[in-house]
Amino acid sequence: MINAGVNKELKMSSGIEKHSGKNRINFSPYLYIGPHLILFAIFFLFPTLYGIYISFTNWDLIGDPEFVGFANYKEILFNQDSTFYDQLRTGLGNTFKFVLFTVPACIIVPLLLAAGLNTKPKGMKFFQALFYMPTLFSVSAVMIIFSMLYSVSFGPLNHYLNVETNWLATQPYAWITLVTVTVWWTIGANMIIYQAALNGISKDLYEAASMDGANSIQRFFRITLPSIRAQILYTVVITTIAQFNVYGQPLMLTKGGPTSSTTVLLMYIQENAFGSGISIAGIGAALAVILGLCIMVVSAIQFFFLRQRD
Amino acid sequence: MRKISVLMFSILFVVMMALSGCSSTSSGSGGSSSANEIVYWNPFTGPDGKNMEQIVNEYNKTNPKFKVKNVSIKADDMYKKIPTVVNSGKGIPDLTIVHAERIKQFVDNDLLTKYDDKLADHPEIKAENYVPAGWNIGDLNGSRYSVPLDVHSFVMYYNKDLLEKYAPHALDDNVITFDEIKAAGELAKKDKIIGIGITWTRPIFLSIYNQLGGDITSDGETPTLNTPEAKKALELLKGLVDDKITNKDGEDPGQLFKSGKAIFFPEGIWMQNSVNEAKNLKWGLTSFPQISPDKIVNWTSSHQFVMFKDKNRSEEKTKGIMDFLDYVRENSLPWAKAGQNPAALATLENPEYQNLPQSFLVKNPEMQNTLKIFDYKYNGFVAEEVDKLVGDAIYGKLNIDKGLKSAQKAVEDKIATNNKK
Amino acid sequence: MEKKRISKIVAVIFLLLMVFIWIVPVLYTMISSFKSEADIQTNAFTILPINWVIGNYQDVLFGNTSAPVAKWFMNSLIISVSQTVLVLVIVSLAGYGYSRMKFKGRDAIFVFLMATMMFPAVVNLIPLYKIIDTLGWVNNYLAAIVPGAAGVFNIFLIRQFMQGIPKEFDESARVDGASDFQIFFKLILPLIRPVLTVVALFTFTASWNDFLWPSIVFNDVEKMPITPGLQLLQGMYALDVAHALTGALVAIVPTFILYLFTQKYFMESLSLSSGVKG
Repeated sequence: MINAGVNKELKMSSGIEKHSGKNRINFSPYLYIGPHLILFAIFFLFPTLYGIYISFTNWDLIGDPEFVGFANYKEILFNQDSTFYDQLRTGLGNTFKFVLFTVPACIIVPLLLAAGLNTKPKGMKFFQALFYMPTLFSVSAVMIIFSMLYSVSFGPLNHYLNVETNWLATQPYAWITLVTVTVWWTIGANMIIYQAALNGISKDLYEAASMDGANSIQRFFRITLPSIRAQILYTVVITTIAQFNVYGQPLMLTKGGPTSSTTVLLMYIQENAFGSGISIAGIGAALAVILGLCIMVVSAIQFFFLRQRD
Repeated sequence: MRKISVLMFSILFVVMMALSGCSSTSSGSGGSSSANEIVYWNPFTGPDGKNMEQIVNEYNKTNPKFKVKNVSIKADDMYKKIPTVVNSGKGIPDLTIVHAERIKQFVDNDLLTKYDDKLADHPEIKAENYVPAGWNIGDLNGSRYSVPLDVHSFVMYYNKDLLEKYAPHALDDNVITFDEIKAAGELAKKDKIIGIGITWTRPIFLSIYNQLGGDITSDGETPTLNTPEAKKALELLKGLVDDKITNKDGEDPGQLFKSGKAIFFPEGIWMQNSVNEAKNLKWGLTSFPQISPDKIVNWTSSHQFVMFKDKNRSEEKTKGIMDFLDYVRENSLPWAKAGQNPAALATLENPEYQNLPQSFLVKNPEMQNTLKIFDYKYNGFVAEEVDKLVGDAIYGKLNIDKGLKSAQKAVEDKIATNNKK
Repeated sequence: MEKKRISKIVAVIFLLLMVFIWIVPVLYTMISSFKSEADIQTNAFTILPINWVIGNYQDVLFGNTSAPVAKWFMNSLIISVSQTVLVLVIVSLAGYGYSRMKFKGRDAIFVFLMATMMFPAVVNLIPLYKIIDTLGWVNNYLAAIVPGAAGVFNIFLIRQFMQGIPKEFDESARVDGASDFQIFFKLILPLIRPVLTVVALFTFTASWNDFLWPSIVFNDVEKMPITPGLQLLQGMYALDVAHALTGALVAIVPTFILYLFTQKYFMESLSLSSGVKG
């Protein structure tokens, strides 16, 4: 019975091919993208549009949202006296800083690791498992582990370095801590993607280059990098989006401090929408939309530059 | 290839079957309340959750008509869930524990069922039988919206041996003052022992602020954070930090206290289990430190029973809820053992309770009057800003005047946006 | 050959250095899970516990009668496995559609999908809950399984990977009379096995570690997956470090086992794919 279904579908798509001419309307692509599009519309598009709508309202999550037009946007973008204007500036600034600090590291470190692993050293499986392992921890677990490691009172770090550095509440240490934690926690996925890509590069290419007298560094830039450009583009875009959505690390490690210097935008969004006070979901949603637009622009720029190297 | 395709589709088939299977089985027994069950949400996860569960289990053993179903949800998640279920109108819990500071907002949105007419059949649920600080919270605009479970306060632990050594007479009047802490801290410095730990900054600041005569609102609407009293409170704390009476920034005050390196340790009464982990530590519990002994303030909050409005809840079930509340009123001892102070006086008379360290806070009306709940509709906004302000201000990372000004402004802006029409 | 050896030595030294950085927090967590909370809280740092205790594991696994850890574990397995299978089917179909088929507005639709994914899903919680509620899925595994399959990033990954497969492959198959579906099923799917393994691993891990959404859609303790379940064990005001670290270790056991399995598998399939490109 199951097989009958498959055959029917096969016949259907080939039937369309036969009967239609050059300017046919081909339905078969929609059989492939359709299932996802339906789920996407229900579980993502609709809630997102609703979220965008909320940014034009004043809403405490409980009563009915009240339409206020562009008031929320005016408040956060142009009203310089407003706390929310400051929140956007501080939050977005810190988010951009975080992205700038972490994204290069989250691309280069796993790329180097994957390149190292690609030499197939002894114990490679162990190395790979170890580097991937942190990705499996939940955010709260990682933050507990690192707040203990960095703790002034009972952390091994200060114990062995014999210093009293307050890693979590003074600058620049707070940023250093956040970046290290993020790299440690998140590079596993990128590393695996690079490994898959590196494995796919034909050995012949390297051998040909060796014959031409290229050393290993030249080979890396001439052959390795161009061969895995698609994967690099993917990881750069995805990593950037992921780091723009940073929330757990500063929330649980530095609590946004010292003096709001690590408070990222998503923390303000959460505070406004789901804070301990009455919800100001409209402002929260407007901040979220701005963040979304920033991510879109940055991703578009990345696409543009990484594609151009063709 | 054919094998793979058959395999893939049979997996798909099995999954679909499983999905449809579990949807049909679970839709019947879903979490929304069945007819004779009281769904009871509370934020008691962790150790105190066990004590609440014990109360519920013992109540269910009495074979009530409506059994109580205990659902513990992490506080953050619970406060996110409440608007979602209230909005969809389905799966609303019958009985919920919320923090005292949240009630005004729920009442403003007309989300809570009034207790007024329900109390007639349960005459013992009345003001005379509860600690006033806890009971008064539920009384708004002449109606009753909540019944208190407990009053939990932020007080001070002290190391008995160190107190004996550095400030033997400080507790003679039952109050520790900041001057006494300073004196003891100066004496202890040479032994590398700190006077007082800076723990949870919000209640520390608010207690001092209130002792100085300040409050977070002047009239229930306007926030009052940028005041001379607030500045004085922060300067007092900063003074302690600058004089090196406190732990350094980033040092864990709990670890210092538990390892015998701190004399005083302001913390909540609910932290007793944690403090007890230090086996060699002899500790006592007293009021939060005071500026002068004649006005004592202990920061307090309260867990309150509320009923979110639900048109599907029957009269009978509401009665069942009231029976449960009456039972809790008389049987709160397990809750006291979790380190809390029950709000119901019935338990307070129990000798077993009177031996618990935290019982001093409610043992007589004078002490009960020291319990201060910062009850303000916009308490949450204040809390957010105070949390950002105090730590940075007293450790010298933020100018006090500037910090207070921007905190005041932030709370005002949030209120204004919230009220915008 | 000599050059090759040098670069290998450099690689190994680099890897060992990184291993040190990576292993310290892991070892720290493992060892701390055998320390008592009192030990961690009252003493200065020591590498090994003063007294080795297994009480943390007992507490996390069996300590709370109201915490049905075994049940949570099963729930998580059902949810994560189902979601992984669902995602694999949907995503490989869609990836094929977006990379291999020509239709009007293909790239526009894809760009639109990507753009929508960039909005942080903060205020979406309430409408999403309403949808789940309308479908009658509250307290139902489906609520945790299906919405996860609406994501776009996996399609992006698969599409990127498929674009690395030369078009000539399809064309020669088409000349042999193969239909779209046959090309997809018999030609492309086997070639993208490594990336499908990666997607499976990512999906399973993400689903296993998700905690906010499950804790919103499940009211029933019995229905909960393990990650939000274990969070219930953490105190409200107090944070118990030893138990939290132990819980974290227990929670990653299944994902780590899955990883070890897939590691073997995608190592094999990686070598299969190496002939394709270049």
